[in-house]
Amino acid sequence: MARALGRPLGKCRFYSLTPSSSFCTEGDGFQSSRVKIFDRDLKRKQRDRAAWLMKGKDEFVDSVAENLLDRLHDCRKTFPTSLCLGGSLEAVRRLLHGRGGIEKLIMMDMSFDMIKALKDTDDKYSNENLETFYVVGDEEFLPMKANSVDLIVSCLGLHWTNDLLGAMIQSRLALKPDGLFLASILGGETLKELRIACTIAQMEREGGISPRLSPLAQVRDAGNLLTRAGFTLPGVDVDGYTVKYDSALELIEHLRSMGETNALLQRNHILKRDTALATAAVYQSMFGHEDGTVPATFQVMYMTGWKEHPSQQKAKRRGSATASFQDIQRQFGNNSS
Amino acid sequence: MARGVFSLLFRTGIGSGSGGGGGNGDVFGKLLSDILVCPLSRQALRYCPDSQSLISDSIGVSFPVCLDFPSPGNSHSTDIHLLAELWRKIINGIPCLVPKDGKILEDQIKSMGNDDSSGADSGI
Repeated sequence: MARALGRPLGKCRFYSLTPSSSFCTEGDGFQSSRVKIFDRDLKRKQRDRAAWLMKGKDEFVDSVAENLLDRLHDCRKTFPTSLCLGGSLEAVRRLLHGRGGIEKLIMMDMSFDMIKALKDTDDKYSNENLETFYVVGDEEFLPMKANSVDLIVSCLGLHWTNDLLGAMIQSRLALKPDGLFLASILGGETLKELRIACTIAQMEREGGISPRLSPLAQVRDAGNLLTRAGFTLPGVDVDGYTVKYDSALELIEHLRSMGETNALLQRNHILKRDTALATAAVYQSMFGHEDGTVPATFQVMYMTGWKEHPSQQKAKRRGSATASFQDIQRQFGNNSS
Repeated sequence: MARGVFSLLFRTGIGSGSGGGGGNGDVFGKLLSDILVCPLSRQALRYCPDSQSLISDSIGVSFPVCLDFPSPGNSHSTDIHLLAELWRKIINGIPCLVPKDGKILEDQIKSMGNDDSSGADSGI
């Protein structure tokens, strides 16, 4: 029974780029100064399980993938070689429909079972124009040669990386000049109802709180990240989705099937049955609708960035102006007060 | 995971969907030489058919190319047809380039001498 209740997943608010003493740093013999927030090995296992639980179409994931891939229509450029980083690979492959002129698609995920499941269903989507390759790899250690791919797509995958900036920098290096980086990640407002319910229930039952929700980037962070990673023409936009579930436990099942369950290094490994039930009850009472369903908010941020290329527009050099503001005022200022 | 399902395994990599080459070893080789590199050193990898792994000579680590073998109970192990299918699977295997999957090459350990010889496995 306890197993069925599962562990609430989480997403909390703040995302820090600088190492903080409260986060766990590596202690397995290799002293590294890198901040480790997420347990990547556990995330791998969770994605293996998600591969087993993958039943078919997931409306939320499909709409995010569709939204992301639609941006390819906005580009006149074609992208013969593309890399799809883990997250919702299956949805991306299914909804691609030849957009972007992709000829070679490399699917990469941390989980072997996920890749295997995709490879097994590959013939359903086989297309004469599209060659698909499957690789198991880590986004934080991208095994791609520099200047080798035209497009990198990541749909709901990068918010589990410890070093998001590093992953983005590696993506930029792997891109050819004038290559496109498209990513969608979950934002800070995601699952705020669950966060509140978990906190209240834990305070009641256990007298304290432990992190059940992972830190997520804010919109302003996304823009900064793109710029710091060296992408030109960065663009970030945000979409809010509210998904309704019959109960809070269904939300957990959904998260589990997406591979989005808790993988924080500092997580509490024990979830008491009472606490789990209390969380579900608080969720229902605070946020439940009259018909008994509960909503869950997902804030998705879509990030777009290009690798620098001389053909891209950029701001002119300082001091190269040929007209001054005074001239403009003289020209037009007479008409206004 | 349907690791043991015999019929499912033989769909791996066959047909135009995966790799276009269909049973031809060039597909894997093309991807390898054009795009894939070692995740740690970013240097080229070479495929070693004996150990079925990708070797990064610059740091002396081998990454497995994961295959999916049918469980012995379901198959006729001496079947020539099975061997041909296995070979096709090797060609269309899935390279596992996660750093933790890498193993330090045993020769490297022996030649260096002062390394810890407790095992070839190493999580990097």
